[in-house]
Amino acid sequence: MKFINLLKKELSELINKQMIFSLIFTIAIFFIMGNVMESATSEIVEEAKSNKLSICNMDDSDIVKEMIDSFKENGSEINLVTVEGDNYASAFKNHKKLKGFVVIPKGFGEAVEKGKKPEVYSVSKVQGAAAFSNMTSGPENTLSSVTLFVSQKLADQKGVSKEQLLTIEDPLTVTEHTVVADKSAQVSMGSIVTKLMMQNMVLPIIIVLLIMMTSQSLISSISNEKIDKTLETLLSTPVSRGSVITAKMLAAAIVALLNAGVMMVGFTSYTAGMMGSMTSDITSAIPQDAAESAKGALSGIMSSGEALKQLGLQLGAFDYVLIGVQLFITIMICLALSIILGALVNDSKSAQTMILPIVMMVMIPWMITMFTDVNSLPTAAKYVIYAIPFTHTFTAMSNLMFGNTTEFWLGLGYQIIVFAVVMFFALKLFKSDKILTISLNLGQKSKFKKSRKTTED
Amino acid sequence: MANVLEVKELSKQYSKVLAADKVSFEIAEGEIFALIGPNGAGKTTTIRMISTLLTPTAGDALVAGHSIIKAPEKVRECITYLPDEAGAYKQMTGIKYLRFMAGLFTSDLDKLNSYVDRAKEICGLGDRLNDKIGSYSRGMIRKLLLARAVMTKPKLAILDEPTSGLDVLNAIEIRKMIKRLAAEEGMSFLLSSHNMLEIEFVSDRVGIISKGHLMVTGRPEELKARYEAPNLENVFERVVKENEVH
Repeated sequence: MKFINLLKKELSELINKQMIFSLIFTIAIFFIMGNVMESATSEIVEEAKSNKLSICNMDDSDIVKEMIDSFKENGSEINLVTVEGDNYASAFKNHKKLKGFVVIPKGFGEAVEKGKKPEVYSVSKVQGAAAFSNMTSGPENTLSSVTLFVSQKLADQKGVSKEQLLTIEDPLTVTEHTVVADKSAQVSMGSIVTKLMMQNMVLPIIIVLLIMMTSQSLISSISNEKIDKTLETLLSTPVSRGSVITAKMLAAAIVALLNAGVMMVGFTSYTAGMMGSMTSDITSAIPQDAAESAKGALSGIMSSGEALKQLGLQLGAFDYVLIGVQLFITIMICLALSIILGALVNDSKSAQTMILPIVMMVMIPWMITMFTDVNSLPTAAKYVIYAIPFTHTFTAMSNLMFGNTTEFWLGLGYQIIVFAVVMFFALKLFKSDKILTISLNLGQKSKFKKSRKTTED
Repeated sequence: MANVLEVKELSKQYSKVLAADKVSFEIAEGEIFALIGPNGAGKTTTIRMISTLLTPTAGDALVAGHSIIKAPEKVRECITYLPDEAGAYKQMTGIKYLRFMAGLFTSDLDKLNSYVDRAKEICGLGDRLNDKIGSYSRGMIRKLLLARAVMTKPKLAILDEPTSGLDVLNAIEIRKMIKRLAAEEGMSFLLSSHNMLEIEFVSDRVGIISKGHLMVTGRPEELKARYEAPNLENVFERVVKENEVH
């Protein structure tokens, strides 16, 4: 009953209007981002489907006319672009939506007729620095259509048939196979890597946010009680110190779980928005020769999840349970660490910076595991990174995916040991005088002594 | 009269500082005892040891017969402690705070309600109890905390600077309340204060502590007579200065 009373108080402190507002805000942000991404990707898809060719024709020859007519016959929409002299930027002023075009200079038709290699200019406009902004067809569609026309024309001149030309241009039939551990699938490695990257991006972000939020809430909870001296009042009542700390940890864990759930839902809707339009109908709808570039850029994402399953890269229910267990242990480690850090606080200023050690312990392994394999690091660095308990949380998913079960269990075992050790010290600290007398004032030795003296009044 | 508190040679050594050195005194049932001393004298350390917040390096104290070392949980059932400049949970309303604190002393709902009713009456905050503590003035918080400290009718209420932050009228009200609770309900009080006037008015006996030593204990009149001083302030001055000479 007394414990429930304590737990209710801790929960009511953590679950307040601000917290509920931030949860709703988080979901809303993910939802909006998901929708924005969906519209951005569907724009790319639409463009790939459209088969619009942009040409700036400066050559009045019959061959060019024939070429344009043949494009029209094949169902392409021709956008004739005009340029003021050599100023290619002027074309984009007149055509706001234009992303690129091909200039057919004077003498193009003559060169083709003489069987020479004609010259064309490809003009593209940089749309922005964002990943998706330049992922559009630009002049590539037009260029490949012109190339196809010219090579057919040259082939005709040399007496090469259409079929022969196709064989020459694409002489190999390549079937890609990708191997993971002892399994293989008929799929390109690039597509597998892209899909894995998309999939593995979500969990680490949730882990980082969860650890930060949980630590901050527990550190603030303990430090506020210390600063306001409500902790002294609480510890002088007939409840055990163990139940005070357990209530705090449990409340923080419950709120963490709530946050995790909300973030999972948010991220799922975000990624669904991002992937949705790409995975749906583009495969069937892409024009044969016009959207090579878009096809290339999107092919990775388009590859089926079937291949992942075949390669054993799709996690089963038991794997998810294991990841859940590891996430739980991770949260427990960060809670135990937060108790110690919260106890070190002696003013509201230091309460804000006290989360820094945890931030570092999360960011370093997150960044490293995002870009490289920890095992590929130099020996000393490798052991330093592995010594950080949160590293094993970030490597858990890939360890389970790639069948490195020994590494997974070793990591989990190490985390349990770290938790036991940190929790032992946290409890020892909380049950001793130090919870009221300890403080950390780095580089302020005299101040520390002063604050100790006032507590010793 | 039976002793509610018996402090026996209580000592506390921090790494370099001896904050309390063999402090001994006792408080009888219904008695108000005040510990007075300059800053850093060891008042708060002694009070914190009796409140089971700090573990003594040597000595012991018995609260209603329970040792603070061997049975701290029993001691906590008999005491309430109000730290100096203590705050309360700002997000809670006054009434919720009282219910929460009462819930730590009893699981019986009737008892809990009677504690809260008593606190409501004592603090005199009326409808403001339904407001969040964050909106209270310092004086209102102190009244709420004092009401909380006495609502469970503890055998010993330990109040560190009970009237700090209160205006004159409120302070007088609190002093009267302490005297009434001791006289009518037999509650014992261990106070600490810098305000000699307050101590002289409210306490039955005082103990002057300096540099961790409890120099002298006695009734205010006794001490004034012994040191031939017109008031407790002069007694305090002489005792502290004598200790500095030694």
